[in-house]
Amino acid sequence: MKRDPERAKLEAVLRASKLVAGGFLGNDDRPLDEILADDAAALERAGRTRGEVAARMREIGARAREGIETWVPAGGAVEARMIEARGRIPCPWDHPGRYFKTIVEARRTDTGDAARWSDLSVHLIEAHGFFQGRGSPFRLEPRRLVRLLF
Amino acid sequence: MLATAAGILAVSGIAGGLAALLVLAERIIRNYGECEILINGERTLTAQGGQSLLETLSQQKIFIPSACGGRGTCAYCKLKVLDGGGPLLPTEEPYLDAAERAAGVRLSCQVKVRGPLRIEIPEHLFRVREFAATCASIRDLTHDIKEFRFALRDPARIEYTPGQYLQLFTPSYDGNEEVYRAYSMSSDPADREHVELVIRLVPGGICTTWCFEHLQEGDHVTFNGPYGDFRLSKTEAPMIFVAGGSGMAPIKCILHQMQNEGIAREATYFFGANRADELFYLDEMAAFEKALPGFRFVPVVAHPEAGGAWQGETGLVTDAARRNLPDLAGHEGYLCGSPGLIQAAVRVLTDLGMPEDKIYYDTFG
Repeated sequence: MKRDPERAKLEAVLRASKLVAGGFLGNDDRPLDEILADDAAALERAGRTRGEVAARMREIGARAREGIETWVPAGGAVEARMIEARGRIPCPWDHPGRYFKTIVEARRTDTGDAARWSDLSVHLIEAHGFFQGRGSPFRLEPRRLVRLLF
Repeated sequence: MLATAAGILAVSGIAGGLAALLVLAERIIRNYGECEILINGERTLTAQGGQSLLETLSQQKIFIPSACGGRGTCAYCKLKVLDGGGPLLPTEEPYLDAAERAAGVRLSCQVKVRGPLRIEIPEHLFRVREFAATCASIRDLTHDIKEFRFALRDPARIEYTPGQYLQLFTPSYDGNEEVYRAYSMSSDPADREHVELVIRLVPGGICTTWCFEHLQEGDHVTFNGPYGDFRLSKTEAPMIFVAGGSGMAPIKCILHQMQNEGIAREATYFFGANRADELFYLDEMAAFEKALPGFRFVPVVAHPEAGGAWQGETGLVTDAARRNLPDLAGHEGYLCGSPGLIQAAVRVLTDLGMPEDKIYYDTFG
């Protein structure tokens, strides 16, 4: 089957380490469309939508920001901290926005589940259903993420 | 037969002509020739057109701050382009407010040199140089912060104002693009042959990953600088420093300056960390307290271990500042850290009476 050249270009950008070390797809050799489909199915099985997940991630991020790089309660059993680095990063889908290099680290005090994400990660999930590839520094498994957030 | 051959010849001729026309057009369109750039109304440089203004100036050894490799994402490379810059691009719009647009401010990485240009460059940027150096030492400060010390090779000496930063060049590795990233100098400014940086590992960060996983002692590096206007004022006002993490760097550099120059201003430094083992430079701060009679270092730990040995201030660094500081009218504030730290610290200091125009900061944003 012939691939859409724009899709192929996007996948090349996601595989390259141009914007983040290691690339957005890490060592995941599945085609982008397969990654997106698998994660969409996993999220549906977990009973949440992209919007719900992104909203909760933003809520945790807002609370973490008040902690000035220290761990603070972020609702329920979740605690989080935010680390901020210089500069901004663009969306690889070539949206006009630029996202601050903020990294939220979150963990549950009851189960020990933990994850980390950036402002861009939240946008990628909400707008593109993209949880990044396995082996990427910011890969989020939908089922584990839902278990952490809610 | 003859007609067929003539037809083939005619078609080939037209095709060849069109190809030649395309080549010619390509040369004419893309060859902008030599372009004159008038800088600050007094100095003209001539450069081959076709590249971005940022690249063109860099080739002429005029270094404009840029942390994103010219991708239009950091917005550090703003310059006034008074004539010849063409229309504002959509890639620039998010970074320029109405006043900047009215004044002709542009992102120099997005402006292409296609003809004569008239621009303004702040005078201090003419002092920026490119340096070749050798990584002399790498020291762990915490689990995710390291100190990198560089011995200068060419030029062999650097002059800078304490509080300023430089841009470290990251070569291509594992397929990433070459980038520059900005780091404040933490070194003793009296040592003009070395610079020292305090760098925190950013997960997925191209430069910090290179520094932590690839850079070795003895390796050659390049950087340019110095940049920035975060510096000690020339007043006698008592000072409050607030920093966290790698925000330690410019404050430490300023403390060296105070020691070197015998500046006896009263100064209190609140430095925040998550845990006691994330505090660093404690010996150096103790040495500054001995050398500077008016200086007090207040480390603040947000989450000391239960039953641990920590006896000092606890909680958020800004809350500790609020608890410990008196009326701050007449004081100056010097802040370095994340936008979250800066916002919270500005709120505390102004609540305590410090005028906002007496608060100086170096934000990561």
